[in-house]
Amino acid sequence: MEVIPDMSKKLIWRYLVIVALLGWAVYTIMPTIRYEGLSGEEKTLLREEGKLLDLESKIIKRGLDLQGGMHLVLEINVPDFIKKVADHQSAAYYDYMEKVDAQYREDPEADYLDIMLQTANRDSLRLSRYFPAPDRRTDNKAVVDNLQKECEQAVVRAEEIIRNRIDQFGVAEPVIQLVGNKRIIVELAGIDDPDRAKEIIHNTALLEFVLLKDPEYTQDIINRIDAAVKRINPEEIASLDSAVISGKKSADKEISVSELLGIQEDESAEESSVLVDENLVAEHPFSALLRNLGWDIGVPKENFYAVNKILNDPEVVRILPNDLRVLFSAKTRTIETVDGGNVEFYSLYFVNREPGLTGDAVKEAKAELGSVSSERMGQPIVNVRMDGEGTKTWARLTGANVDKRLAIVLDNKVQMAPRIENKIPNGRTVIEGFANLPEAQDIEIVLKAGALPAPIDIIEERTVGASLGADSIRRGVNSVLIGLALVALFIIVYYRGAGTIAIATLVLNIFFVLSILASLRATLTLPGIAGLVLTMGMAVDANVLIFERIREEYLRGKTIRSSVENGYSRALITILDANLTTLITALVLWQYGSGPIRGFAVVLFWGIIFNFVSGYFISRTVFMSFTHGKKPLNKLSI
Amino acid sequence: MLQLFKNTSYDIVNKRRFTFILSLVLIVLGLVSLFVRGLNYGIDFSGGAKMQVEFSQTITAEELRAKFTEKNLRNPEIKSSGNNEYMITLNPENLDDAEIILAEALEGTDYNLLQMDKIGPKIGRELRANSLKAVGIALLLVLIYITVRFEFRFAVGAVVALAHDVLITLGLFSIFQWEISMPVLAAFLTIVGYSLNDTIVIFDRIRENLKVHKGKPITDIINYSINESLSRTVITSVTTFLVVVILALFGGQVLFGFSIAMVIGVIVGTYSSMYIAAPILVVWGHKFKEKEKPEEKKK
Repeated sequence: MEVIPDMSKKLIWRYLVIVALLGWAVYTIMPTIRYEGLSGEEKTLLREEGKLLDLESKIIKRGLDLQGGMHLVLEINVPDFIKKVADHQSAAYYDYMEKVDAQYREDPEADYLDIMLQTANRDSLRLSRYFPAPDRRTDNKAVVDNLQKECEQAVVRAEEIIRNRIDQFGVAEPVIQLVGNKRIIVELAGIDDPDRAKEIIHNTALLEFVLLKDPEYTQDIINRIDAAVKRINPEEIASLDSAVISGKKSADKEISVSELLGIQEDESAEESSVLVDENLVAEHPFSALLRNLGWDIGVPKENFYAVNKILNDPEVVRILPNDLRVLFSAKTRTIETVDGGNVEFYSLYFVNREPGLTGDAVKEAKAELGSVSSERMGQPIVNVRMDGEGTKTWARLTGANVDKRLAIVLDNKVQMAPRIENKIPNGRTVIEGFANLPEAQDIEIVLKAGALPAPIDIIEERTVGASLGADSIRRGVNSVLIGLALVALFIIVYYRGAGTIAIATLVLNIFFVLSILASLRATLTLPGIAGLVLTMGMAVDANVLIFERIREEYLRGKTIRSSVENGYSRALITILDANLTTLITALVLWQYGSGPIRGFAVVLFWGIIFNFVSGYFISRTVFMSFTHGKKPLNKLSI
Repeated sequence: MLQLFKNTSYDIVNKRRFTFILSLVLIVLGLVSLFVRGLNYGIDFSGGAKMQVEFSQTITAEELRAKFTEKNLRNPEIKSSGNNEYMITLNPENLDDAEIILAEALEGTDYNLLQMDKIGPKIGRELRANSLKAVGIALLLVLIYITVRFEFRFAVGAVVALAHDVLITLGLFSIFQWEISMPVLAAFLTIVGYSLNDTIVIFDRIRENLKVHKGKPITDIINYSINESLSRTVITSVTTFLVVVILALFGGQVLFGFSIAMVIGVIVGTYSSMYIAAPILVVWGHKFKEKEKPEEKKK
């Protein structure tokens, strides 16, 4: 007998390492197993006891693709932000911005601020005249750098505000993170109403209280627009780039020239109860699209796009006074016509550019249905209370403008435009004009959390329904099980006893990968499960390499023991060399991959690492226990 | 002992004229297709909106398409993704409109939106650039590793085999116009790792046998090494092949592109490590010997 005491010592050391590893793995995976076994009621019970969160923090996190949810990448709209911070707007400013915008449209990849700087320098414009700067002599570079800084600060503030909004909306474990200096990633797991969540996140929620222009002044502006439209060649209007269309429903429909000029509207105008002087159509192409609704200027729904297109035409924008904004109502109004038909109207408002008061002054907001006795009975409304400073401004604004009309504007849409009846000293107001109570409640949330400092665009959106997530899990688990069964069948038939050891270590490998995912709080995604399946196929490789070596040695007539020893030691270098290349690609994917792909890379990486542990170290220990035992093997089952 | 390949002695290296031509033909076909038809980039890289929709009643892809074209709502790309389940890809000017267009087209049908991806064109271009960077970096790192661990000519063999695998897989994706998505790209990188894995195992054998059988012709040594590692090459390829086929069959729509890329990669990778990478050593070796011989004589 050649039992070397040194060897059994080495074996004991190996056993200890393996037991420790197994202990760690079982300990870290237990919460996940327990969690998966819980029924809905048991979960509720644990939640009531306050233990569920603790448990949830220890389990393998499921990616959005497995549990359903929404992944958003938001980006600050730099052009809009810049226009918002501009503090002096003149004709020269508009010309300049138009040039910058045109170039940006041609090359959207370029940095907007770079274009601004180049354009300004080329045209020798002083940017300090239009944008915040210490003084008029500040050079363009410094102005642009300052804008860049403000932009970055705006993103940081936006992130905070979005976090507040989501907290109030109530989503478990939201992920909100800043990426670079322009982007915010938002991940919401298991939400039922992605559209509503999206609105809450990216509504700017800029609340403004703005005075309406006098009717006479407004009429004068409309006349000027009429004149401007007449100057524009109709063909030219038709070939204009698609107008900025804020309405959604028929965003893809082309607007015909005749529709734009209101010629086809004559018929519907006749049907309508409101009067249009038809002689005006040719002379006044713009006013022909509008209707007089007594208090308001109405825009029939069919004319909305045409009116909007005209108002956004550069030629028209140029002739509008700088202190004027033209806004639509948030909702349409339905008015019955003489013959009983219904026509839907938007209202058009001509208001001051500078708001008298903004949402910053809002201290409290509460959505509810108007009380029975009031005129807003049953209507969804938001009650707003202002802070101290706001209350003063509100009192002054309402006091000085009694009998004038004031528009309450939310994100550039007019919610309501009541006449100021008397001074409001207590800092309260009511906002109406919502479609339903949930919409009013969402506005409550965004008003409380504050307005976003800049418009935010959603540039990437991935939504997965919960049912598809569950389906993916089922498919993933099936793939793992079927894959394992087939690989096991093949390897055990081919390598017999040794093959059984290989499969046992393979199962351990999967087990270890899941444990490390749980302890690192890594996320398991569907591609991650694919990584697990792939690992099973490739992890057997280490054992195949070893077994083939052992066979070679054994067939050359070596003893069982030295065949095993040589097989393991000679295969080691090959295993290392071969796996390192896959390890390198896994690391690169981890670094550069996004979302689910990163999940794949993480699993692949740990699969390879644990392949060394279980496929080499543990399987060798098992072999050694057989070959170094008291009763050495006399037959090699390989 | 169950042995698939018992003391085989296939002359693999001397079939190189045939295999080189075969590979060259495949690569050229792929390249032609790449230039003529290009690649079918999914919305991950080209931008757009992709929606997976499930219908409660039976509906065919043609009927579905008609619903869009009837109302002049663009021509969507429609692919079946299961029983009365379809992937609808739209590319509207304004991504926010995608759901509205869908709702308008499907008015009157009972459907359920299972999944939706909307990628802005800008972020699509960015993802494409980032992915190219990732592939480039991975290739560079792997090549540095092989050059450090092996002789230079081994690195040449590995690079050629690698380029071969990637070109053939890309070519097939172009010929069949399979969609290139993020998971497919991950599969390409995994193929890079896998193909090298196979190549390295054979190279390891060659390196070892070069020491053991000094003086024997290199052709024999390479043939001998490939045959020695043949069992291992085939068994590992079979197990990996099994699991990726299972992923293709059971993994669902999301993993299908990934799985197909892997299936091709495993086949091509295994073939290239035996029939391309190893024989390259002979071709390169011949050139070297002519230069090295005079020096050896001086000794």
